[in-house]
Amino acid sequence: MLEVMNLTKKYGRTVAVDNVGFTVPDGKIGILLGPNGAGKSTVIKSIAGLLKYKGSIRIQGLNSRMLEAKKCFAYVPELPYMYDALTVREHIEFITRAYGVECPEEELRLLFDRFELTDKQDKLGNELSKGMMQKVSICCALVIKPRVILLDEPMVGLDPAAIKELKAVILDLREKGCTILISTHMLEMVRELWDVTFVMDKGHILGTYAKENVANEDLEELFFSVTGQSAVKDKMTAHSEEEKQYGTEESGKDGR
Amino acid sequence: MGAIGYLYRRIFCNRVKMAFRRPITYFYILLILFYFTALPMTLRMTVEEMGADSPEGMITVLTVAAFWVIPANLIAYAKRKGLLYRNCDVHFLFPAPVNPKMVLLYAHLKTLTGQILLNSFVIICGALMFRVEAWRLAVYFFFSMILENLLEASIMILIYGSERMGERQRGIVVKAAYGLVGILVLMGIYAYVQEGLSMRTVTNYLHSDMIQMVPLIGWYIAVLHLLFTGATAVNVAGTCCYMILTAGAVTAAWRMKCTGTFYEDAMKFAEDYEEVVRSRRQGDSQKRLGKRQKFGKARVNWKGKGARALFYRQLLEYKKSRYFIFDMGTVMAILAGGGIAWLYTREGGFGSLDAFTPFMIPAVSSYLIFIFTAVNGKWAKELRSPYTYMIPDTAFRKLLNATAMQHVQSLVNGCLIAIPGAIAMGMEPAVTVLCILFYVIFSANKLYALAVAEAVCGNTLGTMGKQLLQMLIQGAAICMAVLGGILGMVAGGVLTAYLLMDLFLVLFTLIFMVIAALNFYNMEAV
Repeated sequence: MLEVMNLTKKYGRTVAVDNVGFTVPDGKIGILLGPNGAGKSTVIKSIAGLLKYKGSIRIQGLNSRMLEAKKCFAYVPELPYMYDALTVREHIEFITRAYGVECPEEELRLLFDRFELTDKQDKLGNELSKGMMQKVSICCALVIKPRVILLDEPMVGLDPAAIKELKAVILDLREKGCTILISTHMLEMVRELWDVTFVMDKGHILGTYAKENVANEDLEELFFSVTGQSAVKDKMTAHSEEEKQYGTEESGKDGR
Repeated sequence: MGAIGYLYRRIFCNRVKMAFRRPITYFYILLILFYFTALPMTLRMTVEEMGADSPEGMITVLTVAAFWVIPANLIAYAKRKGLLYRNCDVHFLFPAPVNPKMVLLYAHLKTLTGQILLNSFVIICGALMFRVEAWRLAVYFFFSMILENLLEASIMILIYGSERMGERQRGIVVKAAYGLVGILVLMGIYAYVQEGLSMRTVTNYLHSDMIQMVPLIGWYIAVLHLLFTGATAVNVAGTCCYMILTAGAVTAAWRMKCTGTFYEDAMKFAEDYEEVVRSRRQGDSQKRLGKRQKFGKARVNWKGKGARALFYRQLLEYKKSRYFIFDMGTVMAILAGGGIAWLYTREGGFGSLDAFTPFMIPAVSSYLIFIFTAVNGKWAKELRSPYTYMIPDTAFRKLLNATAMQHVQSLVNGCLIAIPGAIAMGMEPAVTVLCILFYVIFSANKLYALAVAEAVCGNTLGTMGKQLLQMLIQGAAICMAVLGGILGMVAGGVLTAYLLMDLFLVLFTLIFMVIAALNFYNMEAV
C-alpha cells in the first residue's frame, strides 16, 4: 500500500505541490493524471525519496525514507540514465546487490526475452538507445520484486511491442498484489489499466475516481471535465474538424 | 559496502578496459610518466636555487596547498556542492535501500584514483626535490591515504549529510571556513609588520608555531611538521589535536542520523554538472557549475538570408550573454599582451632571445592558441542542430557564417595581445597589423583544423583523437608559417617575413576551410 498524506513541496517561494494526499491500496493501479506542470513528477520524486517535503509518505506502512521501505519499492523515472561503464547485466547485478534480492538465471532470461534485451546484455550503458535504456530501467525495477512500484511516464520512448509487454507486466504485478502508481499525461496509454485515478493540476488533486464508481465514464472526459480544459479541447476538436474538411476540399481540388 | 563496492569496482574495471582499447590512452600514460619524472627533475634546480631543497621546503608547499584546499572543501560541503553525482546515480543509487552515508562515501571514493596519483607525485617530489627520507614519505602516504581521508569523509558526512543543519547553520560553517582563512591572513599581516616583506618572512610565517595552533588547518600542518622534521612540543600537541579531532569526527559521523535529505541538493548538482558537461562538449564555455546562466535582453537587425541567419543568431546569443564575446581567451590575451610589453620595457629587451624580438608576439600567440584554446566554440554547436542542415544554403556559406563570430573574437583578442607589445617595442604599424592578422588567421586555422578532424574522424576516434589529429595538421601549418618567416627574413626583412608567414597560413587555412565545409553537408559527418 502507498499512502501520501499532506504532501507539500515548495521550490523557493513556488508551491509545486500543496497538501496533497491519496492512497493506493495493495493490488491496485493508481494513475496520477495531470497536464504539464501539474506537480505529478514532484509527487513521484517525493515518494522516491529524492526531494525534501512536508507531510508523510508511507510504503507498506513504513516511512518511505526507511531502508526497509525502500527494499520493497521500485522506481522507474521518466528519463532513464544508465551508468556509461556498466553493461545491462551489470546494472541488474548492482540492483540485486543493492536490494539484497536473488534473481535466478532462468528468471532473468525470461525478463530479458520479454523486453528483447537478450542480445543486449553485454552492451554498455552508453551504447543503448533511449528506448533500450527505458527497458533496462523497467527490468531493474522488476528484479526487485517490488510490493510498491512507481512509474513516471513509463511508455515514453518505448516501441509498440514494449508498450504492450509493459502493460501486461503491470497487470501481472497487480495480480500478485503489488501496488502500482503511474504518472502520465497520456490518457490513451492507461485507459485499460487503471483502478483509481487522481487528477492533478496546479499542485492540487482536483478529483479522485475509482473505476468501479465511474465505470461508464470515459477517462478522457473525466479528466477534461475536472481540469476545465474541455472548452479548450472542444475548440481544438472543432479546429481539427475544420482542418480535416479543408484538407479534403484541397485534395478534392487536386483530384480534379 | 556490497553494492557500492560492486558499483565502484565494475565501473573502474570497465573504464580501464575501455581505456586500454584506445590508442590515445598509451599516449596519456607516457605523458603522465613524463610529467611524473621530468617535472620534479626540472623543478629540482629551481628549488635548489631557492634553497628550499629540504623537508621544510616540502612542508611549505603542502602548507600552501592546505590553506587553499581545506577551507574550499569545508565551504563546498556546507553549500552541498563538490560531491560529484551523475544522473545515473540519481536514477539507481538514490532510491535504492543503501545507507545514504554510504552514498556519500561513494562520491568520495570516486576521487580515490586521483588521490593515489597525486600522492604518488608528492612522494616522488619529496624524494627527488626535497630530500625527504623514504620511511617518512611512506608514513606520509599512509597518513594521507588513511587518516586524512577518514577525517575528510567524516567531515563530509557531518556537514553535507547533516539533516539538523538548516540554511543558517550552513551559512555559519561557510563563515567559519572564511574565518579560518581570516585568522591565517591576520597572522600573515602580523608577520609582515614584525619582519617586513621577504622570502624569509614568508617561510618563517608558514613554519611558525602559531600557524600550527589554528584548528584543523594548523593541526594538519603540525602533523606534517612532526612527520618531516621531527618532534617539537607544538607539533606533537597539534598532532594530538588532529588525532582527537579525527576520532571525534569519525564517531560523530558514525552515529549521526542520515536518511538522505541531501539527495535533492545532490540531484540538482548532478543535473547542473551534466548540463555544464553537455554545454562544454558543444562549445559553450560560459556555463558555470551551480550558477544559472543569466541572459539579458538584446536585439539584432537581421540582414541577409539563408546561412546568414546562423551568424545573427550567434550575435544575438552573444549580445544576451553577460560578457558578450569576451571569455577566458580575452583574459589570457590581455595578460599575455601586457606581460610582453611589461617585460620588454623593464628588461629593455628579451635577453638571450633578443634576436627574435620582432617575432615574440606571434610566438606567444601561437603558443596560447595551440595549447590553450581547446574548446570547440559555438560553431560546433551548429553541427549538433538538425536545423543547420535544413537551411537552404550552401555548406560553405554555412561554415563561413557559423564561424564568423569566432573570427571577430580572434580579432579582438589579437588586438589585445599585439598592440601593447607593438607599442612597447616600437613596431611599424604595417607589421603590427600583420601581427594581428597572424593571430586571427592562426585562430581560424586551429578552428578549421578541428573541423577537418571532425570531418575526417566523425565519431570514430573520440574527442581526444580529433584533438590529436587537429594538432598534427595544425603543426604542419605552423611549420610552413615558420618556413615562410625564415624565407621572408632572408629575402627582405621583418615585413616580408610577416607577409610570407600570413600568406602561407592563409593558404593552409583555405584548404582546411574547404575540407571543413564537408561537416555541413549532412549530420552523418558529425
